[in-house]
Amino acid sequence: MDVGELQQTLSKLHQEAKADLAATKTLDELRSVRSKYLGKTGSVGSLMGTIKDYPPKQRGEVGKTLNSANKAIGELVNEHTERIGSAEVAADAATSTAFDPTLPGERSRLGSVHPVTAVQWEVEAVFERLGFTIEAGPEMETDYYNFEALNIPPMHPARDLQDTFWLKNGMLLRTQTSPVQIRAMEKFGAPLRCIVPGRCFRYETIDASHENTFHQVEGLMIDRNVSIANLIAVMKLLLNEVLQREFEIRLRPGYFPFVEPGFELDIACLICNGKGCATCKRTGWLELLPCGMVHPNVLQAGGIDPNEYGGFAFGLGLTRLAMMKFGIRDIRVVNSGDLRNLVHSDRWAGPVILDKD
Amino acid sequence: MLISVNWLRDYVEIPDSLDVRALAERLTITTAEVEGVEHIKTGASGLIAARVVSIDPVEGKPSLKKVELDLGGKSARVVSAAPVLRVDELVVFAPPGASTLESGKIESTTVADLPSEGMILPGSAIGIPASDKDAIFCPPSMKPGESIDAKMLDDWVIEIDNKSITHRPDLWGHYGIAREVAAILGKPLKPYPVVDLEKLSDKKQSEVPITIDDANRCPRYSALKMTGVRAQAAPLWMQTRLGHVGLRPIDCLVDLTNYIMADLGQPMHAFDGSKIECIEVGLASDGNTFTTLDGIERKLSSEALMIQSNRKSVALAGIMGGLESEVAGETQTILLESANFEASGIRKTCAALGLRTDASARFEKSLDPNNTVLSIQRFVHLASAEFPELQMASRLSDAYPNTLADITVEVDPKLVTRTMGHPVNEKQMTDILTAIGFGVESKGGKLSVKVPSYRATKDISIPADILEEIARNVGYDNIVPRLPEVQVRHFTANPQHITERNALQAFCMGLGYSEVHLYIWYDEEWLKRLGFKPVAGPVLINPSAAGQAQLRCSLMPGLLQASDRNRFHADAFKLCEVGTVFREGPDSRNQSRHLGLISAKRGKGGDDDLFAGLKGDIETWAWQTLGGDLQYEHASKNAAAPWTHEHKTANIVAKGTTIGTVSVCPLALRRNIDEHLSAWSIAWAEVDLDLLHDFKVESKSLRRVPEHPEVEMDFSLLIDAGSPYATVNENLARFDDPLLRRVTYVGAYEGKSVPTGKRSLTYRVLFGSPERTLGEEDVSAVKASFEKHIGSCGYELRR
Ligand SMILES: [Zn+2]
Repeated sequence: MDVGELQQTLSKLHQEAKADLAATKTLDELRSVRSKYLGKTGSVGSLMGTIKDYPPKQRGEVGKTLNSANKAIGELVNEHTERIGSAEVAADAATSTAFDPTLPGERSRLGSVHPVTAVQWEVEAVFERLGFTIEAGPEMETDYYNFEALNIPPMHPARDLQDTFWLKNGMLLRTQTSPVQIRAMEKFGAPLRCIVPGRCFRYETIDASHENTFHQVEGLMIDRNVSIANLIAVMKLLLNEVLQREFEIRLRPGYFPFVEPGFELDIACLICNGKGCATCKRTGWLELLPCGMVHPNVLQAGGIDPNEYGGFAFGLGLTRLAMMKFGIRDIRVVNSGDLRNLVHSDRWAGPVILDKD
Repeated sequence: MLISVNWLRDYVEIPDSLDVRALAERLTITTAEVEGVEHIKTGASGLIAARVVSIDPVEGKPSLKKVELDLGGKSARVVSAAPVLRVDELVVFAPPGASTLESGKIESTTVADLPSEGMILPGSAIGIPASDKDAIFCPPSMKPGESIDAKMLDDWVIEIDNKSITHRPDLWGHYGIAREVAAILGKPLKPYPVVDLEKLSDKKQSEVPITIDDANRCPRYSALKMTGVRAQAAPLWMQTRLGHVGLRPIDCLVDLTNYIMADLGQPMHAFDGSKIECIEVGLASDGNTFTTLDGIERKLSSEALMIQSNRKSVALAGIMGGLESEVAGETQTILLESANFEASGIRKTCAALGLRTDASARFEKSLDPNNTVLSIQRFVHLASAEFPELQMASRLSDAYPNTLADITVEVDPKLVTRTMGHPVNEKQMTDILTAIGFGVESKGGKLSVKVPSYRATKDISIPADILEEIARNVGYDNIVPRLPEVQVRHFTANPQHITERNALQAFCMGLGYSEVHLYIWYDEEWLKRLGFKPVAGPVLINPSAAGQAQLRCSLMPGLLQASDRNRFHADAFKLCEVGTVFREGPDSRNQSRHLGLISAKRGKGGDDDLFAGLKGDIETWAWQTLGGDLQYEHASKNAAAPWTHEHKTANIVAKGTTIGTVSVCPLALRRNIDEHLSAWSIAWAEVDLDLLHDFKVESKSLRRVPEHPEVEMDFSLLIDAGSPYATVNENLARFDDPLLRRVTYVGAYEGKSVPTGKRSLTYRVLFGSPERTLGEEDVSAVKASFEKHIGSCGYELRR
């Protein structure tokens, strides 16, 4: 084609490109329009290759014509790039009724520990900060560790209070975590500071408030000059940390053969704050844990000289503490394996909108 | 145990201004737990004694009687429902104008068309438990028309938790509680009111011969024969008190022994004196039978201690008297037994017979042998006021072959102060101990403390016991809490604790498992559904339910049961339990801590994905806990348990040790449990955590970023389906080229583009050099040589 025709063609293409570009809505569309005209095989781009077909005299003019057409369309492309870009920025920033920034997020299903474990870890953390080690002991225990070494000889009335699961092989299921007191004394000697979380078993009829399988945490501190004042301070600290509240506590006499003196530790009722209610039988106090100063016979059984060392011990019902903390009303839930009762399912499923419980 | 405050007031002055609830609280914190306080208010006024003159039936009303009463100069006609009335007996009567809270104001009225001028009062109106007699009988010392002092009817009752006084024989009677109250209030304890038997007895009289065969089981036996007793009602004050502490008044003699039991804690037994000439205390013969006074014939073992008279059994020592020698209506002579029996023997016998009584409950606490004579003296003191003709028919007989040793405890006041963490001076200590009956002498800076006999039977023997007496009376609430001062000591971490905490943190606080706690015994019914017969393990003598005797040797049956429970409420769940499993043998080492995992999902054919996912979870945990990778070994095909898949089962191997198994539940098992489970997939794993204790966590160096870029390429190998992963790895690892930096496993594929009998394993390979950047020729050369190596291993490349 001659130069005049070329100019006409280019002018037509310019108009077409202008219309095409005006119709673009996205940068992708824009890119394809750009290559339709300006690409190597595009309608303008392909004409660039025809320069060599013109007589040498005309080549300069043709080149100029093509370049300026190319440039003009390029400028159009730039204009539209900016148009679409700012439209996209505006759209991104625009309010959309379909987007509610206040909706809950999508949650990861990380799993859950048992309520008793959750409380156990809190107790462990408190004592680790006090320099106590955490020990463990067997659930199938000997009469010696569970009773005799704890100053409970055969036929002692205290055995009645702890109905025991006996095994045909002569062993028993430990009725308390206290046997690990002796095991820990044998292992470490004095001074000693340890706690022992673990499962215990009592031959009891199960109902809403009694289980034959439950968790306790045993605590033992042996040193020179350990006093009742120390025991009270440590117990107070433990309960305040685990229950995240300041509590009044009180000690009163309690009889357990492996301590002398022995105490029952009560906390001011959580429900009525000590004023008296049905939960605390109008006393204002809840019985929480037995404790006391380690009996010399028990120290001796653990190989520690009671003339040199003394200490305190306690047994905290972890299952009861977990029930208090998580509002579990029926103890049978604890060993049911039923996740509906053991897991805060809203943690995973989504927030609760209405809960009639 | 119930304690009457009126009763306590016999022994200690309790100010009227003192709130009984406050007193109860003080008792709780210094002595024994009070479970409740009850105010017994009868609102009684105008009550009198009345003599029954005649009793006539009411026509057409068999439950009612027409009763005529002598009110002392006056008479009254009433219609009464009281079932047991006899002419000439004295009853408590509420004439018109009298009132009680229970019945309101009494008025003349008409019952069954008959006039009724008052009411024969039931026991419940004055706080006496309802009895079959349902009338209150007065002793013969009262006169018809005599008014009844309403003051003795109102009372406060304190309930003490029996469990909190198992170690305190002295607290099983009002006098012992009064001693504590006196110390709490700082008031004197009045002496125990008794008579001097020496003054009453006739020196010419003989003793009741007592022979004790077993002085260990019966340290002391005291007895006294008396005449001049008869069947009659106990005094009203005594009946009221007994009623208030939950003992039903029966008859003066029985009530007297019950009263002294509740007073001093010493059980006594009154035999019909005409049937007993002598006392022999000895063991029963095995297989003999004995009929106790409740009419039950009991089979005895040779451990049962018996009271015999002329070798004829008359009582089960310390537990219950015999039917034959029971005091009856016509009894005029009694032989009063007041003995001391050894506690554990009583406990054993009670356990063997399945029989516990108020008496045995007290003997089980190791009673003070000094109370045997004291209570006889008390009995005579109380009885002589009721039976004007009472006379000794024997001298006091007292066999005391096993004397209670005196106990003196040496106490260092400095040690007391130090152990309490609270300053108490010697005078305070002495005052406290003296107030509760201890003798204290100061000797060279130490206190020499003599223990009273009522605390010396087993309760108190060491300085710590004395410390408790001091500390509880100082008041634990007066001790200021103070954190201990200690020497820092390092304790080696307990590997069990660390391993378990790590496992729970990994699985339940990141990998999506929910922790459960399940019972440690198998449930036979459930095992049947699983089709599982466990190997022998420890077996409970007293299981909580039938079929739940054997302890578990695997966590899986329980976890499968929990899965079967949870499938109703979820479409997918992951469970985790860390718990103990057991092996047979009387050794506490025959148990291990296991980790059990379940990953379950509704939908058929999900086995392989769950299996791979579960293994991935285990590997993630292994990285966190052990700091490295695990291996799997294809487990042998003889499936160990029904939940193990014949083929899809691997042993989990950590550092050369097999630590557990991972598998999927075969369809056969799922069907056995429930047909619905055939549409589920369940993968499981069980790991012996104890095997990990000795593993040290490796801290591997992190990979350095290469100085020269490396080239990454994936190779997919077609291998025989049966050719194990480990073999392929070994073969690939044999490729030795300086430019090969690293080979990692990417994944496996079996599907459309893979020919049958084959599967595809994809590996990612890194080529590079620490010295230089590889050129294209280097890469293609090493790639070609790696492909050649693959070919030489007999694997095809999948394009
Ligand atoms: Zn309350």
